[in-house]
Amino acid sequence: MTSGVRMAVLTARFEGIAHKMANTLHRTGRSGILTIARDFSCVILTAKHELLTASDSLPIHVLRGPEIMCRTMTENHPKLKRGDAFLHNSPYHGCTHPADHSILVPVIDDDGVHRFTVLAKGHQADCGNSLPTTYMGSAKDVYEEGALIFPAVKIQSDYEHNMDIVRMCRMRIRVPDQWWGDYLATLGAARVGEREILALGREIGWDTLEAYAHDWFDYSEERMMEVIRAMPGGTLSRSSRHDPFPGTPDDGVEIKVKVDVRPGDAMIEVDLRDNPDCMENGINLSEGCAHSAPMVGIFNSIDHTVPKNEGSFRRIKVHLRDNCCVGRPRHPTSCSVATTNLADRVSNPVQCAIADLADGLGMAETGAVIPPSSGVISGIHDGEPFVNEVYLGCTGGAGTPTTDGWLTILHVGNAGMCFQDSMEIDELRHPILVHSRRLMPDTEGAGRLRGALGAYSEFSPLGCEMTVAYVSDGNQNPASGARGGLSGGPSSQFRKTPDGTLEPVPGCAEVVIGPDEAMVSISCGGGGYGPPVERDPERVAHDVREGWVSRERAETVYAVSLDDALQLDTEHTALLRKARIAEG
Amino acid sequence: MNETHKPALRLAVDTGGTFTDLIVGAPDGSIEIYKASTTAHDPAEGVLNALKVAADAHGESLRSLLGRSEMMIHGTTHAINAIVTGRTAKTAFLTTEGHPDTLVFREGGRQDAFNFTIPYPEPFVPKALTFEVPERVLRDGSVHKALDEATVVDVLSRLKALEVEAVGVCLFWSIVCADHEVAIGRLIEEHLPGVPYTLSHRINPSIREYRRAMSTCLDAALKPVMGAYMSGLESRLADSGFKGRLLVVTSQGGVMDAGDTAAAPVHLINSGPSMAPVGAQAYAGAAADTLIVGDTGGTTFDISVVRAGRIPRTRETWLGRPLSSHMTGMPSADTRSIGAGGGSIAWVDSGGLHHAGPQSAGAMPGPAAYGQGGTRPTVTDASIVLGYIDADFFLGGRMHLDAEAARAAVSRDVAEPLSMSVEDAAAAIVGLATENMVQAIMAITVNQGIDPADAAYVAGGGAAGINCVAIGRRLGCRTVLVPETGAVLAAAGALVSDLVAHHQAMFYTDSRSFDRDGANAVLEKLEGQCRAFAESTGIDPSRVEIDWVTEARYPDQAWEIEVPLRASRFRSDEDVAALVEDFHKTHQEIFAVSDPGSAIETVGWIATVRCKIGASKPGRIHADIPAAEAIAKRPVYFPGIGWTDAAIHRFEALAEADAITGPAIVESAFTSVVIDPGVTARRDAMGTLVADLGTNRQGVSL
Repeated sequence: MTSGVRMAVLTARFEGIAHKMANTLHRTGRSGILTIARDFSCVILTAKHELLTASDSLPIHVLRGPEIMCRTMTENHPKLKRGDAFLHNSPYHGCTHPADHSILVPVIDDDGVHRFTVLAKGHQADCGNSLPTTYMGSAKDVYEEGALIFPAVKIQSDYEHNMDIVRMCRMRIRVPDQWWGDYLATLGAARVGEREILALGREIGWDTLEAYAHDWFDYSEERMMEVIRAMPGGTLSRSSRHDPFPGTPDDGVEIKVKVDVRPGDAMIEVDLRDNPDCMENGINLSEGCAHSAPMVGIFNSIDHTVPKNEGSFRRIKVHLRDNCCVGRPRHPTSCSVATTNLADRVSNPVQCAIADLADGLGMAETGAVIPPSSGVISGIHDGEPFVNEVYLGCTGGAGTPTTDGWLTILHVGNAGMCFQDSMEIDELRHPILVHSRRLMPDTEGAGRLRGALGAYSEFSPLGCEMTVAYVSDGNQNPASGARGGLSGGPSSQFRKTPDGTLEPVPGCAEVVIGPDEAMVSISCGGGGYGPPVERDPERVAHDVREGWVSRERAETVYAVSLDDALQLDTEHTALLRKARIAEG
Repeated sequence: MNETHKPALRLAVDTGGTFTDLIVGAPDGSIEIYKASTTAHDPAEGVLNALKVAADAHGESLRSLLGRSEMMIHGTTHAINAIVTGRTAKTAFLTTEGHPDTLVFREGGRQDAFNFTIPYPEPFVPKALTFEVPERVLRDGSVHKALDEATVVDVLSRLKALEVEAVGVCLFWSIVCADHEVAIGRLIEEHLPGVPYTLSHRINPSIREYRRAMSTCLDAALKPVMGAYMSGLESRLADSGFKGRLLVVTSQGGVMDAGDTAAAPVHLINSGPSMAPVGAQAYAGAAADTLIVGDTGGTTFDISVVRAGRIPRTRETWLGRPLSSHMTGMPSADTRSIGAGGGSIAWVDSGGLHHAGPQSAGAMPGPAAYGQGGTRPTVTDASIVLGYIDADFFLGGRMHLDAEAARAAVSRDVAEPLSMSVEDAAAAIVGLATENMVQAIMAITVNQGIDPADAAYVAGGGAAGINCVAIGRRLGCRTVLVPETGAVLAAAGALVSDLVAHHQAMFYTDSRSFDRDGANAVLEKLEGQCRAFAESTGIDPSRVEIDWVTEARYPDQAWEIEVPLRASRFRSDEDVAALVEDFHKTHQEIFAVSDPGSAIETVGWIATVRCKIGASKPGRIHADIPAAEAIAKRPVYFPGIGWTDAAIHRFEALAEADAITGPAIVESAFTSVVIDPGVTARRDAMGTLVADLGTNRQGVSL
């Protein structure tokens, strides 16, 4: 039995290793999406493919899926040797989606025994799709999508690159030098993890580390059981609807979740089987995402100090169905956009369902994505191609039981872990001009704790045309509130013509913007938690003074009255609220 | 005392959260240490109180002491305190039309994906005091939209009505064309005479609008409060007889004249902690050129490093918790702080996992042993249980500790829940605190690419001695250094620091077609600024040095690293090739990877002018303890060994020749240093206690 003391120390050491991996990737990558936005994850698994630590990671990337990726590696390559490294991006073998190039390195001890696996996963600026975007929402299948798929393919032996594979990638990916730099950074991160774990094993002993992992999982499971036992039980059904996209039914895709919280046997089960089959488009979930998405909703809803690993996961059961759009996809179904759109339509209703259980639990819905402001821009400027995902303003945080929505959450599966671009850096790196990035008043999902405001962004190419590829959900189905909280503002997107007219453009598209035009992108607000009339009047007054909420909205929605100097009128507010409660 | 001799004392005063530390340096190289309580409502009073303590010890008046002093070097937390407590000026933010929410968006990022209890930070300047200015400059410096001065005048009249006390101006791309910011500056002087303002291209000419805007608004907001503080301190010192030069420690570990800092107070945000590595470097000398410096106080553990003889800088300095607060945007000595120290509270959670901190008992109620109402066990309590701290000789015997209360707290909150002995529980508490500190150290060494095996660990701060040897072992360092002024390490650094100014410029070029003339023109301009600064200080040119650094990266990378230049100009293609080679080497050192086939891009250029004003060594404390008193024995508990009789040495009484071998404790009035079994230690010529970990550094007992 590992003592509580040793467990704490070794946990800190493994987290330190994951941090060191992440730092390497962040600082040495080449594409903006890795080095500015930080759209990557670094995790450590045991040799039995159990997730040990996922600190410094994006939740949708890592909660589930890495174990399938590792299993694929060992099944395809039964004899692992030190110096091996594997490239993996196959959504049919555990990876999130083909844009997430992952490097797996088995950590082999001095006796040749496989002890741990380190995994570094980074979203590529381009992965060789048929169109210059890593989010092919309209792709009918993986063939139309066009990315090279690597189901745990050995890319290094004895620490040497397999240059055949490198050359294949260079022939298919639009920005080969940038990809090469990103590949080196991802590989470097995995190698740093390998080096550190080897040192740790030599210092502490491999059997001790194995015993630690076992006990750490038991501890984590115990913590999870304790949390579930303290929850009220119940079976809740909730749904969330994705906007109509190419290949979906005309009224969009309704995703139904059934959440069963059972304090008696300390289990939470989520059933996703009652949902449509895979569709002829790119928004189907990979198995990794289908499994992770409900877990994001669950872990968002409970005590955040419960460790996220194989141990606590034992208390969660997710039911998936083969060939379901939120289940296990069959090749050649496209999962190009698996990390965001439908995944969010799974995580969000799960956390809302848990909110339905009791006040103080769960969260409202986070805004839907991916608006053009977070899309992939591409074009040719002075004869040189450019392609990258940008982060020019996307918000969407949901109201929670204790805080207003985190402004820069991006989307629920990302949890705000990504960074927002510097507009100056974007203008330096790409031929674009960002006219505006601002928050939009009165777009918050009102509530006792309110959602984040939506963002307005407007940008143009400089001296060339620019293609903006995006998959913007939330035009028709904004983020719902929870426990009486209201919905956030919807998203929308426009082409701004030279005379200033705003022409609407579709939610899922690749739009070509001319040099005298502009792309206008409006992102979703987050849903509110709890009735708006219960919001602390001082916080409403603060929102009005800051220009986030109009005076009229304060009065009509929050029942809060302010005088002309924007100071709180306590008496009138009390009257308004009394009347509002009387109205029911 | 000869009243007519030349003033020659040097004073270093470091105002910390709890104590104001003073070192008095005499011309013969001897130094003395004094402490007074920090007076938060009026920190200058704490400075004067510390000086009075020194004057009293000398049996002279404050006027006499100050009259004999030629220089005072001051580290102060006044600026950061003003920010944290919201006592800065009511500040307005003027920025480019279309982008009013730069301070709200920040650069995104979040610390813990699942922790929704931490609120999103409010912008440093409220949105209500943010104003958009019609204008736009492009990345090449061309004007896309001319400045609408009439609108600016209109905004300024609103600022007047709002009784705004300071103005920060940060426009897009002002770093390549400053005309619009300069014009707004002129309009502020015209329409808001007397209101302090800051222009972004002057205070922080670097790319990334959020960071530059933060520096700008912080600087403006600090001007009234720091201006008043500096002029108040100067006049009170002058009234008390000080005729010397008042210098202030900057965030980057140099010093500036007090008047200059009042005009650019954003440089003072990290004043104080930035001096710990300077002090450490002075003590380590040639013994090690890579140092890890830990400064352990009651509630915080401050970490800094010296890499290959240089103190690395960072542009990511947070005002609060990383990613949950705001960045200063200013370059600063790379220091980190975590909530860990003697006051860290130990506890066991419901799943049986043991924790130490981050909660702290602080100074009040303090550890259980203080008998001030604290009941929860702290690292200090655990150290008493283990015999590391002598309850009867704490702070040199000035404070008596309740050993029984410490034992009871450790037993109840840790030993019983974990079913272990009180001693093992206490050892576990110290061990876990050590691990937390080690992880915090790793965060900075990882970022700076330092291998601890090549570094010495330098321990500063009153609570450092408990686990500094354990930290050094766990990190794999060869030696641990405890300077005799360790308890006031930052003040020791101030005593030996240089007068420093940094000048920087943006200039982009690429090694594939390196613009030598362009780069040389930038370097020449920077050198001119450095020479002008040196002249203004009146220092002998032989004592002036300029350091050259470029901020460079691989093409498409987003983050630059600093690479020192070998010479002040590029005279040939070989010089460029040398820079490229140095870049690959530095990249390899920091990140363990490099791409030798790749070109490099240089973006920023920094010239640092250093004027030597002080001694290169802090000097020695005069010891007056007879050697005979030094040796005693008391039982001390080490994990894996149990109770053992350890030799107890007085720090001051150890002579250079005396080698001691652990288990041992070396005590002074300021600290208690635990020498683990098998570790040897001796004092060096500067009085530093040097613990040699030899081969004893692997395999820490868990």
